[in-house]
Amino acid sequence: MSMIDLRDPSTFPSRRVEAWKYTDLHRVLRETPPPSPAVEIVFGGPFVALGGEEIAFANGRAVGADAFVASGEQTLRLRFVSAATGTGHSASVRIAVKPGARLTLLESHEGAGAGYVANYRIDLDVPAGAEVTRVVMVDEPADAISIAVAHVKTAPGSVYRQTTIASGARLQRQETHLAHGGEATAVTLDGLYALSGARHTDLTSVVRHNGLNGVTSQLTKGVVRDTARGVFQGKIVVERGADGTDARMGHHALILGERAEVDAKPELEIYADDVQCAHGNTIGNLDESALFYMQSRGIPADEARALLTQAFLFEVVDRIAHEGAREVVRSWLTARL
Amino acid sequence: MAAVQETIDAVAALEKYEHGFTSDIETEFAPRGLNADIVRFISEKKGEPEWMLEWRLAAYERWLAMEEPTWSSVKYTPVDYQSLFYYAAPKKKDGPKSLDEVDPEILEIYKKLGIPLKEQEVLAGVEGAPRYAVDAVFDSVSVVTTFKAELAKVGVIFMPISEALREHPELVRQYLGSVVPVSDNYFAALNSAVFSDGSFVYIPPGVKCPMELSTYFRINASQTGQFERTLIIADKGSYCSYLEGCTAPMRDENQLHAAVVELVALDDAEIKYSTVQNWYPGDAEGKGGIYNFVTKRADCRGDRSKVSWTQVETGSAVTWKYPSCILKGEESSGEFYSIAITNGHQQADTGTKMIHLGKNSKSRIIAKAVSAGKSDSTYRGLVSVHPKATGVRNFTQCDSLLIGKDCGSHTVPYIEARNGSAQLEHEATTTRLSDDQLFYAQQRGLSQEEAVALLVNGFVRDVMQKLPMEFAVEAQKLVAISLEGSVG
Repeated sequence: MSMIDLRDPSTFPSRRVEAWKYTDLHRVLRETPPPSPAVEIVFGGPFVALGGEEIAFANGRAVGADAFVASGEQTLRLRFVSAATGTGHSASVRIAVKPGARLTLLESHEGAGAGYVANYRIDLDVPAGAEVTRVVMVDEPADAISIAVAHVKTAPGSVYRQTTIASGARLQRQETHLAHGGEATAVTLDGLYALSGARHTDLTSVVRHNGLNGVTSQLTKGVVRDTARGVFQGKIVVERGADGTDARMGHHALILGERAEVDAKPELEIYADDVQCAHGNTIGNLDESALFYMQSRGIPADEARALLTQAFLFEVVDRIAHEGAREVVRSWLTARL
Repeated sequence: MAAVQETIDAVAALEKYEHGFTSDIETEFAPRGLNADIVRFISEKKGEPEWMLEWRLAAYERWLAMEEPTWSSVKYTPVDYQSLFYYAAPKKKDGPKSLDEVDPEILEIYKKLGIPLKEQEVLAGVEGAPRYAVDAVFDSVSVVTTFKAELAKVGVIFMPISEALREHPELVRQYLGSVVPVSDNYFAALNSAVFSDGSFVYIPPGVKCPMELSTYFRINASQTGQFERTLIIADKGSYCSYLEGCTAPMRDENQLHAAVVELVALDDAEIKYSTVQNWYPGDAEGKGGIYNFVTKRADCRGDRSKVSWTQVETGSAVTWKYPSCILKGEESSGEFYSIAITNGHQQADTGTKMIHLGKNSKSRIIAKAVSAGKSDSTYRGLVSVHPKATGVRNFTQCDSLLIGKDCGSHTVPYIEARNGSAQLEHEATTTRLSDDQLFYAQQRGLSQEEAVALLVNGFVRDVMQKLPMEFAVEAQKLVAISLEGSVG
């Protein structure tokens, strides 16, 4: 669970809370939703073809194990399945990784039903010598509310890669808090959103560099159409003494609807001087001259637009280190563009 | 090596804070503390019309109901609003103000600060040197305004706001509080209740102001707060360039400076507003210094209007301000160029807001922060695009330079795009002074301090170039002095 407790409406933040400035939970949720019923789900999910172990939560209830310890080379499909209408559920899960293990964590937020509220917390420890690739795919109904908060700890000498792909909901937030161990730890924290209708998604991350020579690379890209709203809040903190930190953050969005909205808050908080930190943020429309060029070559305007949008987003997909996951995401995204 | 020698001289001649002297001027104070009677006292002192007193009292009521904001990254000992003097004016004889009647000791102070208050002194300068008119504000009152007569010939009104309230009440009433409403924020409400002086500028339609206008603020009395109010109106097709400078004596106490600056640019008008802020920053242990909590905002009301803010912030113990532009007019444009240098225990939380409401409005933000010692510097800014504002462009660049292990530098930009045709770009970097460059400069014979000054001046050059010439020279020296002792 996040700081939000579905049983206690006083924990539902409004936009007056700085960290929730662009995602006003209080506006869409004022009271505790009735608890979601128990449901049966089938084994599978979007990553089923990639094999591995499965841990699933159906309407917040663990189907089997509710924790996992990875050793050696493993693939884990972590599924959060919601099949509810107008009800709410919460779940939390802890994933541990043995030193030297290589884990591919394929996480899916699958939604069926309508107007449900889902609230998840994921704890993940990446020890020295371990390598974790986490791919999160969030695919929910347009009127759902979902919040997922991941707390990730990386030890010195580990590798952590994360890519979150979101298509939005009535209100959807994927939050990552990462304690960066420094020394020879490489972190990649990517995000991608493609929104249409009145969907809202919020990708929030806080990366805290505590050790020496930590490296963080962040790239988030998004496309919003119609009256959708994309929110990106990225914060990189370099604590006193975390010298040699190299952190880069990029957020780039395309607004393809006259009434769509993108809000970005890329933040740097730096207390060490021997650092290289940068962030870039661009928001705009498709390049008119590129569109014109493609049309002059005989490609219809709509197709040209789709191609350019796809090329724009695929930069993030191409960075997914796991080939199988990359292909799943690619075809999922292509179907939506 | 002339430039190097100049730097050495500048550093040697000017001690850590050259403007820190105190002057014993006979001063008239309002009773200590703040209540409705003090507001009445100030209003009466200024001989203000009844509506102005009511406006102030309403502001005071609003202020009482507000809470001091805490969201910034600056930390400071809370201000005891009841222990301050809200009005301090050098004693003077009654009668019309002319330069001869200004206390010679005050003139001496301005001479020491290098501010020309005698018109002939300005004129006696080098041939072809730019002239500029000065409004000198000393604690709570304006002591002298130069070139008023010459400016009046072209219709430019440049006078203390207290005088403008008497001579042009209709203009003041129309525009005062129209950019920064009384209830805008805690410090703006306080200022609205107790402001005592500041400058008023009106540039009539089509007039290009023939000289630079400037106001020089000096806090002298202790335990006072300075609350000045500046209002600049550039009517259709007019242009003016305005400079603002500020200094204060070195004292152990923290003094509050809560100013409000309102700019209004009508169709095709342009205002260039430059600040070199050098309030006393406190001593090496962080004792004393000015709290600089200022609300500055420009309203680009007219189509194709333009406002450009340039600021060099080297002083104050705590700086907390965001000179902003409301870009209402079609094709209006706003610019913000900032250098914030913090050293010792200084803190700065500064930046800008560019609110795009008009079609095809443009904005450009270049912010350079240099932190050294145990200081903290934050860039906080907002670029927002209204749903109806099509064709908006923004470019933002924030660069921070860190010197030393104990300082901090933060970047907190907010970007809100509600229109699909907007093109917004933002980039920020944080690095430290490059060892290689320092080594290279030293290997060429520069001392470490000169090398730092050279590199920092290079780092902030983009913004320096936006300053009017006479300010640029001063600002360049300030950069060197502010960073004294920050390396090694």
